[in-house]
Amino acid sequence: MSFAQSSLMPPFTRPLSRVAIVRSGGYDRDLGTLLFEAAQKFDLPVKGKKVLIKPNFVEPDPEGVVNTHPAVVAAVRETFLRLGADSVRVAEGPGHERDMEAIVETIRLRDFLGPLPNLFVDLNLDDVRPVNLRTRASKLKQLYLPRTVLEADFIVSVPKLKTHHWSGVTLSLKNMFGIVPGSCYGWPKNVLHWAGITPSILDINSTVRPDFAIVDGIIGMEGNGPIQGSPKPTGVLVLGDDPVAVDATCARVMGLAPERIDHLAKAGALLGHLRPDKILQLGESVASVRAPFAVLPAFRKLVAAQA
Amino acid sequence: LYLHGGVEKAVERGLLWLLNAWPAEGTVWRRWQQVLFPSPANRQNNALRGWSWTPGTASWVEPTAHALLFLRSLPTDMLPPLAAKRRQLAERMLYDRMCPGGGWNSGNPLVYGVAGVPRIGPTVWALMALRDHTDRAEVQMSLRWLEGAYSGIQGAASLALAHRCLGAYWRPAPPLAPALGELYFRNRFFENVLTAAWVVLALAEDGSASAQTADRVATE
Repeated sequence: MSFAQSSLMPPFTRPLSRVAIVRSGGYDRDLGTLLFEAAQKFDLPVKGKKVLIKPNFVEPDPEGVVNTHPAVVAAVRETFLRLGADSVRVAEGPGHERDMEAIVETIRLRDFLGPLPNLFVDLNLDDVRPVNLRTRASKLKQLYLPRTVLEADFIVSVPKLKTHHWSGVTLSLKNMFGIVPGSCYGWPKNVLHWAGITPSILDINSTVRPDFAIVDGIIGMEGNGPIQGSPKPTGVLVLGDDPVAVDATCARVMGLAPERIDHLAKAGALLGHLRPDKILQLGESVASVRAPFAVLPAFRKLVAAQA
Repeated sequence: LYLHGGVEKAVERGLLWLLNAWPAEGTVWRRWQQVLFPSPANRQNNALRGWSWTPGTASWVEPTAHALLFLRSLPTDMLPPLAAKRRQLAERMLYDRMCPGGGWNSGNPLVYGVAGVPRIGPTVWALMALRDHTDRAEVQMSLRWLEGAYSGIQGAASLALAHRCLGAYWRPAPPLAPALGELYFRNRFFENVLTAAWVVLALAEDGSASAQTADRVATE
C-alpha cells in the first residue's frame, strides 16, 4: 500500500521526478494505447500488484466537464492491466453527492468499464479503519480511511484538470480528499475544510501518497470550478510518478504559477518536486501545450507571468 | 429506541446532547468575522444554525433535516423549551440555504454569485423536514423542482427517496417497481445497505410493487 517511505523527503534528497505530457484530440481516440505507450517509459513496479484508480467523480454531469471522463478511467485501467497488474479497481467517495450510482450512471461508466459491482468501490461506504496521519499540518492527527485504499498496493490518482474556487486548482493531490469516507465525516467532508484545505491535503497525501498520477486535461474546467466553471478544451493527458510534479506541471499548462498555489507550494517542501529543474519532462513541453485558464478574481494572483 | 420503551432516560440524554450540539459557524466570533470580512464566495446567514455532520463543523442541509425529523417524531411533552428554538432556527436555516430556483444541494445555494444546482437527496430530506409548511412558496417551488427532476433520476437511492417524498406530499409519481427493477439489474445497488433499506421502504408504500418484491430486495 501507499504508506511509501518516499512520501516524506526533502527535495534535496529526492531523485528527479518524471512527468510526461501527451496530446490527445478527444475522448474518442485510442486512449488505452496512448497511455500504455506513455506509461511504459516509467518502468512502474505494478506486476502482480493490486492497483487502485482514484478518479474525480463529483456530481451527476452528463456534459462530461465536471468528472474525470470515463474513457480516461477505462484507458488507465487497460494500461495497468497491460503492465501486468493483478487487479485494477476503481474507487471514489464523492464529497457532495451521496448517490454514487446516480453519478456513474449519468456519466455512463458502465459503457466504458463493463459491469461495475465487482470493479467499482464507493469509498464513502467502504469498511474503514483509523489511521494516524504521518504529518501534523492540520490538527486532525487521525482519520478513518477506507480498507480498499489501505489495502491497495499501488494508487493512481486520476483527476480532471480544473480550477477550484477554494484551493485554486484541483488536481491529483486535492483529488485525494475523495478517499475520506462520507459515512464517517458527512457530505461534504466538512471536517477537512475546518481543519484547513491546505493542511488537510498535505496530511492526507503524506499518509496515502498516490504512487502515480494521470490528469485528464483533454477537456478541463476554467473559471468557477470545480463544478460550475466552463469547459476548457486543452487536449492533453499529464502523467507522472510524483503527484506534486504532475500538479505543478498542470498548473504551468494552465498558465498558473504553482509556487503561488498554497497547497502545491507547501507540498513542494516534503511531498515532491515543484521546481521545473527537478522535473524530467517527457513527451510534449509545457510551452507547446500551454493554454491559460480563466480564473476567478480572487485567484488572479496565481496567474504566471507570460513566458 | 423510544418506541421500544424502557430506555426513556437514554433517549432524554441523547435528545439533550442533540439540542446542545451547536454547529461552529454561528459563534459570536465567526459572525463578527462575517460582518468585518464578508466572503465573496458565498452568502449565507450564519446566525441561522442547524446541525453539522460532525461536532465542531458547520451546519449542512441533510443533518439539519435529519435532526428536525427526529425532533418531530418525539412526543411534545418530552421536548425541553430549547427544542422549539432549535427547530425554528433550523427551519429558517433550511430556507436560507435553498437554491434560488427551489430544491437544495448540500448547503451552498450560491457560490461566487452563481446559483447552486439542487440535488435529489438533500431536496428530499429538506422537504420531509418541512412537511408542516406545505403552503410555503419555497416548499411548493422545491416540490416542482423535484417533480421535474424525477424522470432523470439514475440511482436507486435517489429514486426511492424522491418517490417517498412525493408520496408524503400526495403528489403523483410513476410506479416505482419497474424502474427500481431495472436499476437493480444494472448494478445490484452496489450492495449498499442504506440504498436497499430506502428501496424496501419505498416499495412497501408503493402500490405498484408486490409484498414479495420488497421481501426479495430485503432478503438479497
